[in-house]
Amino acid sequence: MAESDSSEDEVAAHNTVGNVPFEWYKDEEHIGYDIAGKKIKKKVREDKLDSFLASADNSENWRKIYDEYNDEIVELTKEETRMIRRVLKGMAPHPEFDPYPTAVDWVTIDKAEHPFPDAPEPKRRFVPSKWESKMIVRLVRGIRKGLIKVDDKPKEENRVYLLWGDDRNLTERHHIPPPKPKLPGHEESYNPSLEYIPTAEEVKKYELMYEEDRPKFIPKRFTSMRSVPAYDKAVRESFDRCLDLYLCPRTQKKRINIDPESLKPKLPSRKDLKPYPTTCYLEYKGHKGPVVSISTDSTGQWIASGSNDGTVRVWEVESGRCFRVWELGEAVQHVAWNPSPELPVLAVSVGQDVFLLNTGLGNDEENRRVDDLLHVESHMAHNEPGASEAIISETIVKWSRDDNHGAIRLNHYKTVSSVEWHRKGDYFSTLMPYGESKAVLVHQLSKGLTQRIPFKLHGLPVSTAFHPTRSIFFISTKKNVRIYDLLKQRLIKKLETGVREVSSIAIHPGGDNVIVGSKDGKLCWFDMDLSSQPYRVLNCHPKDITRVAFHRSYPLFASSSDDCTAYVFHGMVYSDLNQNPLIVPLEILRGHASVNGRGVLDCKFHPRQPWLFTAGADSVIKLYCH
Amino acid sequence: MDIDGDAEEASRRIRVRFVTKLKPPYKAPPTSIAIPTNLTRFGLSALVNNLLKAGNADWKIEAFDFLIDGELVRMSLEEFLLAKGISAEKILEIEYIKAVAPRKKEDPSLHDDWVSAVDGSNPRFILTGCYDGFGRIWKTAGVCTHLLEGHTGAITSVCILDPLGSDGRRVVATASKDMTLRLFEVNIEEFQGQLKKIQSFQTLRGHNASVQCIAAEPSGAKICSGSWDCRINVWQANDSDSGGDFMSVKKRKVDIEDEEPKSEGEPISTLVGHTQCVSSVVWPEHETLYSASWDHSIRRWDVETGKDSMNMYCGKVINCLDVGGESSSLIAAGGSDPILRIWDPRKPGTLAPTFQFSSHTSWISGCKWHDNSWYHLVSASYDGKVMLWDLRTAWPLAVIDSHEDKVLCADWWKSNCVISGGADSKLCISSEISVM
Repeated sequence: MAESDSSEDEVAAHNTVGNVPFEWYKDEEHIGYDIAGKKIKKKVREDKLDSFLASADNSENWRKIYDEYNDEIVELTKEETRMIRRVLKGMAPHPEFDPYPTAVDWVTIDKAEHPFPDAPEPKRRFVPSKWESKMIVRLVRGIRKGLIKVDDKPKEENRVYLLWGDDRNLTERHHIPPPKPKLPGHEESYNPSLEYIPTAEEVKKYELMYEEDRPKFIPKRFTSMRSVPAYDKAVRESFDRCLDLYLCPRTQKKRINIDPESLKPKLPSRKDLKPYPTTCYLEYKGHKGPVVSISTDSTGQWIASGSNDGTVRVWEVESGRCFRVWELGEAVQHVAWNPSPELPVLAVSVGQDVFLLNTGLGNDEENRRVDDLLHVESHMAHNEPGASEAIISETIVKWSRDDNHGAIRLNHYKTVSSVEWHRKGDYFSTLMPYGESKAVLVHQLSKGLTQRIPFKLHGLPVSTAFHPTRSIFFISTKKNVRIYDLLKQRLIKKLETGVREVSSIAIHPGGDNVIVGSKDGKLCWFDMDLSSQPYRVLNCHPKDITRVAFHRSYPLFASSSDDCTAYVFHGMVYSDLNQNPLIVPLEILRGHASVNGRGVLDCKFHPRQPWLFTAGADSVIKLYCH
Repeated sequence: MDIDGDAEEASRRIRVRFVTKLKPPYKAPPTSIAIPTNLTRFGLSALVNNLLKAGNADWKIEAFDFLIDGELVRMSLEEFLLAKGISAEKILEIEYIKAVAPRKKEDPSLHDDWVSAVDGSNPRFILTGCYDGFGRIWKTAGVCTHLLEGHTGAITSVCILDPLGSDGRRVVATASKDMTLRLFEVNIEEFQGQLKKIQSFQTLRGHNASVQCIAAEPSGAKICSGSWDCRINVWQANDSDSGGDFMSVKKRKVDIEDEEPKSEGEPISTLVGHTQCVSSVVWPEHETLYSASWDHSIRRWDVETGKDSMNMYCGKVINCLDVGGESSSLIAAGGSDPILRIWDPRKPGTLAPTFQFSSHTSWISGCKWHDNSWYHLVSASYDGKVMLWDLRTAWPLAVIDSHEDKVLCADWWKSNCVISGGADSKLCISSEISVM
């Protein structure tokens, strides 16, 4: 009673009649309805006489008050009567309530240290704070710069933690189920039928067996359950199970579920990369031995070929007619057409000689000029040995006139394996694959000079090439490709091929990409800006690659191999340096026959059409057109 | 009755009427008859022959070809009707024409080397160019009347100027790999049974590389030539009578062997635009000439202004070109693939060929429209075959298989012969082809 003087809180209303006037039910038997909708009956009231008698009998009867709402008689307690009395007297119902407490003057001018000022509110209360805005600007800058991080929520501490903290990957460890036990059958019964019981001989036989072969359980009969002994292998089996769990591998290997198709690089469709050579329509027949080398002239009207039968032939590309034949008597190693259109000269390496042949395909004026050039040349070499380079040329190479073919003959001291022209058609390099410093020579046609290259060669040179636009020279040894700057006379780069033996190299017409074919059938594409390691290695041929070639204008390159095939690839080099070259295999060109284990010996692109020439050991040259 | 019913089941019948534009001895009665639908071209031909024989006792059997709705029948009637969606309910009109196929092969005319060019535009003789550098004039198969001397390189192309002129004296032009063109004057009538050697009366110099093709203006006043130096030169074709024309700039020193002084000509204009070898030129009208090149384009040039009025890119190297067909405006070209393509340049907005014929198996080296027919053309290919084509069917009308090596050139002669030269050094003539 003490805590509250609110009478409503004390007793919950028993009645569920609701707050309705009682006159509504004055003449009714009930006073309302309960929660279930049933009538609540009025209690039979004592009549006045009874109540009077009761009050006479019971001195305490005055305490009883009729509660009309709840329809019941409430007996007042002593405290309640006391409270009533106090209320009647006009006092506060609770005696502990002090109506006149000592007033404490909290807000007086005399006592307060900081009295309430009477001054009007200053303006700054209404104006946004300058310093706060400065602070905000600083914070905003900090957030923008990333110095202040707003997104970082405070790390939620795990409310529960692992008591045994060491078992960190406990959640990852999955449940290892025990092996499923075999359900017991009839023979495992304590009292199996007789047919399950082994005979004494059988038991003896079992004992003779190895433990592994012995049946795990031998049925026995017991007359009652009481006589069944304890399971003798209980300890053993639980030990084994523990051992299993202990020795069971702790890490779980997740099987990678990847569609193998998705691992393939997304390559454009071959249809979009047309044109490229696909079908052989023309054959150039006439050689009697394997065609070792072919070369096209700069216009694409003629193609020259050299063969082991000792002849060099010039063919008309469009009709397949052999236009001219030179009999050189010895197996031809390499033919190379001068890239300059005004100088229809063919360089042919035969044994230790290099012939510069006049093809006679230019107009009269050009032919005369070439004749002059090839003629004057020999005199110069003989008559002017004064210059220092000329002395070198006298010792290593002898320039002489060959009147049989109207040609210049450069006699080397070793067998020349290849001849490569510089793009301007004046210089050409010859290669003798012997491990000496004079293995690679550079000749100048117009002056009749020969020079050694001023670089130390590491290993046997295999192939050489001039850069298509700059004065850069590529020398490939069996393992590496070295790139030299001819003007500055120094090594620029070394490309590590990682193949067994390089057989040929080709330079992209842009000059920044090199392909290298190897004798183990691998084709390496180097992006020289990227790295000295191959950008891509294409392991396509089962046999030696004999030659690789780039197309001059189309994004094509090809490789020919001793497996009688030539592969054509799309090799797009983008001018955007960020984009890597795109390499797509396009076509396998077949058709050559294998002779003595050799297949296609050379391949060259037509200089202007997307066509590929292949020279085979079957002494046929084929033209594949788009 | 039963048997008849079975036959009816086996082959359904269709009512047809045979019509033709041929002259009376070939006219069949215009009544409609019911024929089985499983008949092929051969069956139809036999049927028409029977009909004709019924009207004419001494009828000789003739092969016919059949057109339904302007298309040649190349399968059984039933399949054809199904494929074309033609109703079999109505009376079907079948037009028949004489089958276009060579009925006779003349003996090959042997050359000393590959026959690279042939021109049959004059019905009285055939002009051939050969890799040995000589041009030859053949009166008929195997009868060579004139030998045109002078070139130092292989002849690549020949043409007859103003071929249908009335007199017997004709001017012919040859182009060669020695970078020159030569003009010869030939008198056809003067043949006395032995070979006559003729020197050229004019040499045209001006190309920097092999001349690949040559064509004459219809009137014969000018010729044009395409070359490996990417240019087309237009020349004045001097008549030998007006030898002192202003175009013959300098006269060479008269050689002792030469009967008449040789004059040299220079190009009156050069059409520049192609970026690779010009492989073929044709000059069908006075002011326009067409050229095809290895740079994959076909161009139409306005000779007067020297500008190209049309540039058609077709994706392949083109070796041969001809303009003809319907109102002489269809372009036929073949090149570095086995497909003979025909464009209609009047069709706007598309570069797709209107017809493609792909029965060859190698490069097409020559193609030529028939002079009078809108539909017929001949093509030569490196696969050694010459094929006759009709625009109304996708199959070749005839395959002439007389060459043993690459066929390098082909042309029509006398409107009913096909002449072709090849790498087997033969000039083959297939005659009695009844076009129209």
